[in-house]
Amino acid sequence: MTALPTRRVEEWKYSDLARALGDAGFGDGAAKAVATAPDGVEIVSLENGNRPAWVAQHYGKLPANVVSAVSLAKAQGGIAMRVRKNVAVVAPLVLNISGEGHVRLLLVLEEGASLTVSEHCDPAATRNTGFEIVLGENARLDHVRLSPASAVVQVEEIALLAAAGAQYHSHFASFGAKLSRLEIMIALEGEKAEAHLSGVSVLATGHADITTHVAHKIKDTHSTQLFKKVAGGKSRAIYQGKVSVAPGADGVDSRQTAKALLLSREAEADLKPELEILADDVKCAHGAAVGDLDADSLFYLRARGLPETEARALLIHAFLEDAFAGVASDDLREMVRGTVNNALDGIAI
Amino acid sequence: MSSAAAETKSQVAAIGEKYKYGFVTDIEMERAPKGLSADTVRYVSAKKNEPEWMLEWRLGAFKRWGEMKEPSWARVHYPKIDYQAAYYYAAPKNTPLKQSLDEVDPKLLETYKKLGIPLSEQMALAGVAVDAVFDSVSVATTFKDKLNEAGVIFCPISEAIRDYPEMVKQYLGTVVPVTDNFFATLNAAVFSDGTFVYVPKGVRCPMELSTYFRINASETGQFERTLIIADEGSYVSYLEGCTAPKRDENQLHAAVVELIALEGAEIKYSTVQNWYPGDENGLGGIFNFVTKRGDCRGARSKISWTQVETGSAITWKYPSCILRGDGSVGEFYSIAIANHYQQADTGTKMIHIGKNTRSRIISKGISAGKAHNTYRGLVSVLGKAENARNFTQCDSLLIGKECGAHTVPYIESRNPSARIEHEATTSKIAEDQLFYCLQRGLGQEEAVALIVNGFCKEVLQQLPMEFAVEAQKLVGISLEGSVG
Repeated sequence: MTALPTRRVEEWKYSDLARALGDAGFGDGAAKAVATAPDGVEIVSLENGNRPAWVAQHYGKLPANVVSAVSLAKAQGGIAMRVRKNVAVVAPLVLNISGEGHVRLLLVLEEGASLTVSEHCDPAATRNTGFEIVLGENARLDHVRLSPASAVVQVEEIALLAAAGAQYHSHFASFGAKLSRLEIMIALEGEKAEAHLSGVSVLATGHADITTHVAHKIKDTHSTQLFKKVAGGKSRAIYQGKVSVAPGADGVDSRQTAKALLLSREAEADLKPELEILADDVKCAHGAAVGDLDADSLFYLRARGLPETEARALLIHAFLEDAFAGVASDDLREMVRGTVNNALDGIAI
Repeated sequence: MSSAAAETKSQVAAIGEKYKYGFVTDIEMERAPKGLSADTVRYVSAKKNEPEWMLEWRLGAFKRWGEMKEPSWARVHYPKIDYQAAYYYAAPKNTPLKQSLDEVDPKLLETYKKLGIPLSEQMALAGVAVDAVFDSVSVATTFKDKLNEAGVIFCPISEAIRDYPEMVKQYLGTVVPVTDNFFATLNAAVFSDGTFVYVPKGVRCPMELSTYFRINASETGQFERTLIIADEGSYVSYLEGCTAPKRDENQLHAAVVELIALEGAEIKYSTVQNWYPGDENGLGGIFNFVTKRGDCRGARSKISWTQVETGSAITWKYPSCILRGDGSVGEFYSIAIANHYQQADTGTKMIHIGKNTRSRIISKGISAGKAHNTYRGLVSVLGKAENARNFTQCDSLLIGKECGAHTVPYIESRNPSARIEHEATTSKIAEDQLFYCLQRGLGQEEAVALIVNGFCKEVLQQLPMEFAVEAQKLVGISLEGSVG
């Protein structure tokens, strides 16, 4: 079996997967994915060996990290989804992932198609999810992923390929686990492809690692990343974000922001924003900050009569709001807000 | 013509000079047998008339080095180094202790004159005390008397090992442990010379101290070790410069610098690194693997690193600060310029341990030609570092289509009252800035030198004046041939 990464592997420095899993590994269960799909989405089970051509064409083809390679080798179940050319699906596709072990997902949006995916991870079982997303020309995917607080190890690797003019908008809300990691590898392969990622981590306890790689492979591709973390109790919030620009990819515009608030003496935040630039006519910037709430803002609110805890709560909500304000669907944005509010209620501020 | 414009013109005139330190001094050398073994270590130690404890220390390091692996995490690519194919000790022949400069081989003095290094007493006006290290040994140290008056010890480290063994024993290897990393351990085994500085309590060192490193012999590695101790309430500013001849081979330079600042002390350490960078096809050049670290051991102490890195084929260097004392301050100001096939992987670590510790990182990376420039850094705030503050700014400038600029910062915080801010940008020289300069009659290269100097200004301002002028010129020279 392939050795799982330990913290000695640089990309896993803050998430010692081998140690968190112990000898049991991901287990031998049959994790599954259930999609409640609106009209216009075609769904095929991956358990069936007799796969249609479009599945065979894309399944297991995108670059994988070591953990994703394990799910590809071991997963027994999963689903493939497709939206055909120029079909705009308005209602969200709800994706529920549950059970123990490895599971695979494939989503293909053909040229000009659009879809919103609302992904929910069941917190009960140790699981490794491998997700491949292929966006055809001018396709648009809105992706919201919720991973509720969990006591076990939950990891997911997403590999995404975007053709010319395709757009990917995602929001990842994570609430901690024994070890939780979402790693997304995006290749913007066609001109004017865009990826806009955002996320919040609200931790009362546990660990949440979000790792993003955005590869600008061609000119005029754009990306943004905005990640906010609130870490209370004995928790660890991690963001690693790499942006790479290939030789000749002029006109790339990339902006990345990662911010963390520590609310407890036992909490830790680790940020690693990384740039790898091989073209000269680009605009790439990143900013990262870790700290306490702004003393002036706090003073302002208290001077207007708010008790300290209320003032702090207000500022923390505002701090996080920023990161999910961009979720396009009103319903999904409200869902994220609700979950974030619930999680904040569980943290001493 | 305004004086600023004249200055720019003269800087740009200097651009044509290319690498002017590429000459070789023909001088009779004494070398250790080629290769590296416990016997080499004994040879070096014996050459230096070292006490037994020092030899033991070296042999211990050599044993550990044999068990270590060369690190591969940096973004630098180079052919495998054959550690047995180099000489680990080379010294100009006939170097008994010098009482005055008159006894120094005139050829050596000539070399330093060519390099523009003020070794002679007439340079008293410059007010800089110099320790010159030629290949493996220190050849001259100036202004000893004046420094003695103030109680400052400034001497080759080989001399310090003999004359101040207790102090060396107390501090050597306490900031960069013997087994810190592959190159530091190699250095601990074979270092041949370097500089030792001790500034006593409450003394403000009366002049800038300076060491000049020169690799001259071929197939020779240079391994110097610097140890600076600033006792309570003292201040010292230390400058370091380096050059090497043009050669088609790659030569290894693996230095270790340890700084210790006790309560209320301040050390300012400036480097202008101009080792031979290789030619425009990437042939030759120095492999520069350096471990530099400062320990702010006492409360309210301060260590400030300023570096201008223009030379070397490979630079692997992370001058760091351990902010142990409450209220201590660490600074890192860096300009790294990589042109042609140069590769630089450099940055800093700021480890906040004490309360109210502060750090500031300003890094300017410039890539041109086919070069790659990486900023790699760590800001770590430990649990007890109440109110720690860090500000980091990393800017990269790309000149040309085939170069690369990379930023790899690690930010780790374990204290809720700490505040860390990091910003990074990557850009090229703006067309409008260039146009503005060209329109006012500057040539393309002059304009680039002017804009790049502006880009680097925050760092250049931190250098002592004599160095700042030199560094500004270097910025222009290093980018020669990168535009147009």
